[in-house]
Amino acid sequence: MPAIIPFFQWCDDTMVSQAIRNSRVAFPVIENFHLFALTVLLGSLVVLVLRQFGLVYKTQPISEVASALRPWNRWSLAVMLTSGILLFLSEAMKCYGNTSFRIKMLFLFFALLFQFTIYNRVVASEGKSAPVGGKIAAAVALCLWFGVGLAGRAIGFLG
Amino acid sequence: MSILSMCQWLQDTNIGTSIRESIWVFPIIETIHVLALSISVGLLLVSDLRLMGVIMKRRPASEVYEQIKPWMFIGFAIMTITGIFLFWCQAVKAYNSIFFRAKVILLVVAAINAIAFERGIYRKVGEWDDALVPPMEARVAGWASLILWAAIITCGRTMAYTF
Repeated sequence: MPAIIPFFQWCDDTMVSQAIRNSRVAFPVIENFHLFALTVLLGSLVVLVLRQFGLVYKTQPISEVASALRPWNRWSLAVMLTSGILLFLSEAMKCYGNTSFRIKMLFLFFALLFQFTIYNRVVASEGKSAPVGGKIAAAVALCLWFGVGLAGRAIGFLG
Repeated sequence: MSILSMCQWLQDTNIGTSIRESIWVFPIIETIHVLALSISVGLLLVSDLRLMGVIMKRRPASEVYEQIKPWMFIGFAIMTITGIFLFWCQAVKAYNSIFFRAKVILLVVAAINAIAFERGIYRKVGEWDDALVPPMEARVAGWASLILWAAIITCGRTMAYTF
C-alpha cells in the first residue's frame, strides 16, 4: 500500500513523534501505561467471558456483571488507544514495514467492530445464563482481543 | 558460592542456554508471561475493587473474592512458571538489574499484604460481607494490592529496556 506511505511519513515527522523519540523515558513510560491498560482491558473481558460460561458469579445476571465492568473496559480502552497512538507516532515508519503491526491493526479493527456492534449488545441482553450464541460471541471477543495482544507483542519480536 | 555465580551457573545450564539461544522459545514464553497478566492481575483487580468498595457493591465481598480466586491462582501459576524460565535464561542480567531487584522485593511485599489480609480482617468477613464499603483494613489491603501490582508491572516492563 505505497499510497499511504506519505501518511506514515507525516506521522513519523510530527512534533509529538520527535519529542517521544528524543526522550529517553517517554517511550518506556507510555508503554507501561499501554501495559496497565492491557491488564485491565483483557482482565475485565476474561471475567465477563468466565461469567458467560457460568464459571464465576452465577448468582449475578450476566448483564449486571457486564455493567459493573463496563466503565473499566471503556477507560482502559481509552488509555490503550491513546498510549497506542503515541507509541505508533514515535515509530510510524518502522510500523509501516512491520507485518505484526499490520496484523495487529486488522485484529484491532475487527475486535472494536465486533465489540461495539455485537458483543456489548449480547451481554447486555443476557440474564442468568448465556445461550450458545452468547458463548460463541464470548469466545470470538476473547480471541479477537487476545489476537490484538499477541500481534502487539510480536511487533517487537518478529517485525 | 555468591548469588552472582549461582546466577551464572543457572543461565549456563542446558535449559537456560537453549531458551536464550532459541528464536521462538523466548518470545513465546515472554508473550505468555505478558498476556497472562490479564488472568492474574486483571482478575485480582476485580476483587481488589470490591474490597475498596468500588464495584459489585451489592454482592457479598467474599463471593466476589472466592469465586474468582481459583482462576486468579491459575493466572499467577502461569506467571510464576513463565517468570522462572525467563529468569533462568538471563539470570545474570536480571541479578544486575535494579528493576529486577525492586520487582522481587515488591512481589514479597504483595505476598505479605495478601497473607495479612487473609489472616486478618478476612477472618471476620462475616461481619462486613454485605457492607457496600468494607472496613478500613480491607480497603487498605485492596489499595495496597493494586499499587503494588502496578509497580511490579512497571519494574517488569522497565527491566527489559535495561537489558
